[in-house]
Amino acid sequence: MPLLDVRNLTKDFGGLRANDAISFALDKDELLGVIGPNGAGKTTLFNCIAGLHPVTNGHIIFDGEDITRLPAYEVARRGLARTFQVYVASGDLNVLENVMVGAFMRTRERAKTRRRAEEILERLNLREVAGTMVSELPVAAQKRVSMATALGTSPKMLLLDEVAAGLNPGEIEEILAIIRSVHRDMGITVMLIEHVMELVMNISDRIIVLDYGRKIADGLPRQIADDPKVIKAYLGERYVHEHSGEET
Amino acid sequence: MEALKNAVDFSDFPRSDLIIAILVGAALLIFPLFPHSAFAMATMIQFFIFSLYGMGWNTIGGYGGQVDLGKAQYVGIGAYTTAVMLIRWDIPFWFSMPVGVLFSVTWSFIIGYPLFRLKGHYFAIATIATSLVLKDLFEVWGFVGAARGLEISPIKYAPPDFLRLIFRQDVYYYYVIFVFFLIGILYINWFRKSRLGFQLRAIKDNESVAQSLGINVHWAKIKTYAIATAFVSVVGSFHACYIKNIEPEDTMSLNLSILIALMAMLGGAGSLWGPIIGAGVLIPLKSYLKEWLGASAGLVGIDLVIYAAIIMVISAAEPRGIWGLVEKIRRRRSR
Repeated sequence: MPLLDVRNLTKDFGGLRANDAISFALDKDELLGVIGPNGAGKTTLFNCIAGLHPVTNGHIIFDGEDITRLPAYEVARRGLARTFQVYVASGDLNVLENVMVGAFMRTRERAKTRRRAEEILERLNLREVAGTMVSELPVAAQKRVSMATALGTSPKMLLLDEVAAGLNPGEIEEILAIIRSVHRDMGITVMLIEHVMELVMNISDRIIVLDYGRKIADGLPRQIADDPKVIKAYLGERYVHEHSGEET
Repeated sequence: MEALKNAVDFSDFPRSDLIIAILVGAALLIFPLFPHSAFAMATMIQFFIFSLYGMGWNTIGGYGGQVDLGKAQYVGIGAYTTAVMLIRWDIPFWFSMPVGVLFSVTWSFIIGYPLFRLKGHYFAIATIATSLVLKDLFEVWGFVGAARGLEISPIKYAPPDFLRLIFRQDVYYYYVIFVFFLIGILYINWFRKSRLGFQLRAIKDNESVAQSLGINVHWAKIKTYAIATAFVSVVGSFHACYIKNIEPEDTMSLNLSILIALMAMLGGAGSLWGPIIGAGVLIPLKSYLKEWLGASAGLVGIDLVIYAAIIMVISAAEPRGIWGLVEKIRRRRSR
């Protein structure tokens, strides 16, 4: 049985169909990449799965339970956490406290919450900035805080929304290693939206491609890179050219 | 047990803060032993009362960022419950005060449910409306004395009456409210570190993020609103015994609601010391302004002009109030 099973998911904003009958399933321990051009409906898909947008049509089954109509906080409590593309904390909470908010979902005890948060900060290379306000951090660290906060809730599955956007190559390496460690060592199923191709192709077990709200491809990274539909809609000839011969 | 430990644990404040707090606390403790005017004594009691109002407001308004301009209605419910129960059935303060809290909190759940469907300015305006409606109702309700209000006559009792909280000398009231004040500080110190406290600060930051961290935003706000309400209601009950003459105009007015919000906003919304600093500045200012300027007829209402000016200065210059300013200076120094 898949951990996440999305069936015919459709989302309309007024006259605009942002997600059009999207179906896919994701097994436990899998790492799924979601790619597609801007406006293809990737973030909308995340928001629907996480319960932030009411779904127009279709079903979302998580861990054997239909979560289609559940509010976002109930989805989170069932073990589905997410990060946000733009995560600007207005500055009332420092890094440690932010992660503690997540960890407080599972317990009332402050001491336990604090220990859990500190463990996660350690894992995500954030220990030195535990007392810093999130708004004062560089982008790369802010993205990691967003991940750490989501991990605080001890999820079964993590949705990552463009955690590598705006990072330099060194920082991308770092976040790649962190995502791997979250996936492998913590045993958390991951689904990620990403524009940084090196990262997606490198890390994903499987990739789905969205275009104009529809799923146009679903397969292994190699298959996706060779799919003419995907090249036309998103990757472009240049990517294929530059990367031909690699990894073969 | 852990809750109690957290309530008395102030270790995340710099030592200088704690020394100042202890010195101020000690000064407040021995203040009545020194010669003082009745006016100064009354001002001090008002300072405690408004500190507590401010602490209550600060939970939902400061930590939670929900600007509530209707807190006066709960001063009224608390004050009226205590006054009515004492006058009609001779039920003492320590019994009527919890009943007042029960009424207030019940009412806060009833109106909080729809109120928190609103956000920002709409929420603020709606809180004003609910408070004013209640005030209008009390002004025509004969059972509670309508617009003339109620009077507790101390002659009927034998002061000092600790059960009914009827005293002839203000010094008794001073120490009773001082104890409430200390309990209030401990409670808020626990609250800001509790799960609900963290959740509220996350809500203030970003409601969508808060939701995705498993927080039922609507319910967390309603719960906190009830806590703020309980604070205000307890002090309202005290107010009834202390002032002994209550009417809708001075227990439920918009002026009072704004003044309550102003304590925390001026001193520092979302900080432990904020409401106390705010009350420490505003209450003496208010009392002495009335004393000095109120006598000349043309200047009635000058205090309102000053509140308005304060609100404008805070929102333009430093939204986190005096405490925000202190923290800013500290951070600059540590760099």
